[in-house]
Amino acid sequence: MMDLKDLTEAIKTGNRTQATSLTQEALDADLTPQSILDAMVVGMDEIGDKFKRNEVFVPEMLIAARAMNESMAILEPSLVKSGYKPLATAVIGTVQGDLHDIGKNLVSMMWKGSALNVIDLGTNVTPDKFVAAIKEHDAKLVGLSALLTTTMPSMKATVEAIKSEELSDVKILIGGAPVTQSFADQIGADGYSPDAASAVDSAHQLLGIR
Amino acid sequence: MNNYERYMGMVKGEQVDYVPRIPILMHYAAKHIGASYADFAGDYNTLVKANIALAEDFGVSQLDIMSDPWRETADYGAEIEYLETTCPQCLKHPLEDSKDLSLLTRPEVGKTTRLTAAIKAIEAYKAYGYKEYSITGWVEGPAAEASDIRGVSNFMIDLIDDEEFACELMDLCVDVAIEFAKAQIAAGADTIGVGDAIASQMSADMYERLVFPREKRLVDGIHEAGGLVRLHICGNTNHILPVAASLGVDIIDCDWMVDVVKVRELFPKNTVIAGNLDPVEGIMESTPEKIHQNFIDLYHKVGNPYFVNAGCEVPMDTPKENLQALCKPIQYNSSI
Ligand code: B12
Repeated sequence: MMDLKDLTEAIKTGNRTQATSLTQEALDADLTPQSILDAMVVGMDEIGDKFKRNEVFVPEMLIAARAMNESMAILEPSLVKSGYKPLATAVIGTVQGDLHDIGKNLVSMMWKGSALNVIDLGTNVTPDKFVAAIKEHDAKLVGLSALLTTTMPSMKATVEAIKSEELSDVKILIGGAPVTQSFADQIGADGYSPDAASAVDSAHQLLGIR
Repeated sequence: MNNYERYMGMVKGEQVDYVPRIPILMHYAAKHIGASYADFAGDYNTLVKANIALAEDFGVSQLDIMSDPWRETADYGAEIEYLETTCPQCLKHPLEDSKDLSLLTRPEVGKTTRLTAAIKAIEAYKAYGYKEYSITGWVEGPAAEASDIRGVSNFMIDLIDDEEFACELMDLCVDVAIEFAKAQIAAGADTIGVGDAIASQMSADMYERLVFPREKRLVDGIHEAGGLVRLHICGNTNHILPVAASLGVDIIDCDWMVDVVKVRELFPKNTVIAGNLDPVEGIMESTPEKIHQNFIDLYHKVGNPYFVNAGCEVPMDTPKENLQALCKPIQYNSSI
């Protein structure tokens, strides 16, 4: 029987050719889609932890995420057939006036790898667009990213817009280099995470998973 | 002693009267003269007017052409949207979907718009205050410009996936940057800033192997043309600075996360260290008294040669009194 540890390793090192062919091999060997997904997620978790400890940097994270996405595309039909449903839908975006998206993309990729259905709204997203997307997709989690001190007020405006719509069961998680826990408290967000790896833990915690 | 003499004196390791101050001001500059950011970035007359106003109103030691990340990229063929209140936005990176270098326009002074505008700005500075103020031109560093041309995530992936292409693209960027720097020096710039922000997001090993040799060629090219080199890499650069120490730059900007005492140990003794209070907590949200005192303490910690500077751009909403405090003269101390 094939060892899923090789798949974990291929995701972690961003080797997409190997990761996709191992995913196919695992499916052909009738391993359960869930066990294959779990092996991939371990790979992303491990690289995420290394990133947090400054042992790897943005390029290594990006190729790992790419290997994950391409392998997921192969796995997804079988996952769906096996009755797998994402735990919840999350909306994510960089707030109005802000064009930085590397950090937001990494969080989005990590969330996708952790059984969330992620709707990525891109950059420079207005409060209205966030609200509309939450409604449209019945999202239970929203992630806001800001890299500029000048766009932190847009984050506040977005939180206010979401709260004023009484979308009470949606949790708001914020992040980005200048953002802090005390800023999250101040604007009434439900949580803050300093990096992509902890963004997964925080998301699950807020959603009451784990 | 005028601002130019003070600046050059510090660079040469001579005794000066007080410490030069070289804050990075862009959004603040536009706001200070009531101009839109679109004009600040897109019209060189506005850029010149704003920088002269900062020199006159606050005593900034330099006249600067920095306005946004897209000057070269625009001339390489990017689609740029100029916005009223903030930095322009790149709608389409020239090689976002392709690795064909022949699709790029080659930016050239006299032919392409924004490089030419930079030269006109420097000529205007020269007419206004040659040898009264330092005139600082800028070029994008190899990693920054390659990221702007490909889109930053694409280029970060290229560095692992297709090293040969990534290097070829950076080599082109260095060729163009050297030509652009030479034109700026010929027009009157004494210093060329090299901005390579994205270099802080890669490992020290990748930086050393792929980016450092290209930054080095750029630094040598600027020196050959008779300019001083100021390197600015935003963010936490502690891990790459031991490598960058042998670039031979004259001025090293340090962002607020950087250990400046360590930088003094790593870099040649005659390198000017510029920095490094946190632009937000240390400048915008601080008080004039604290800002002045913190710069005095920092100067004594770092020692000569030193320039007063925030870690990075001073935010637009900084109170006027706080910028005045940043620029308040600090006596030169010959015993540090
Ligand atoms: C790359 C970059 C750019 C690129 C952006 C490319 C892109 N597509 O993203 C370009 C060149 C376009 C750019 C432009 C500008 N930039 Co810029 N940029 C950077 C740089 C170098 C890296 C940012 C980055 O991607 N980091 C890597 C990622 C992985 O980290 P991260 O974003 O922090 O994300 C992590 C966490 O914060 C967290 N996280 C992030 N988002 C979220 C969201 C959620 C929900 C959660 C839970 C977590 C989370 O998880 C991520 C992964 O671990 C930084 C400086 C630096 N070296 O840090 C400056 C920096 C952010 N930029 C800065 C500035 C000032 C600008 C400009 C205004 C410059 C100008 N005047 O021209 C413009 C603004 C344009 C705009 N309107 O947005 C300043 C911001 C200062 C401030 N605090 O206000 C910085 C800090 C540089 C500096 N020291 O001054 N920039």
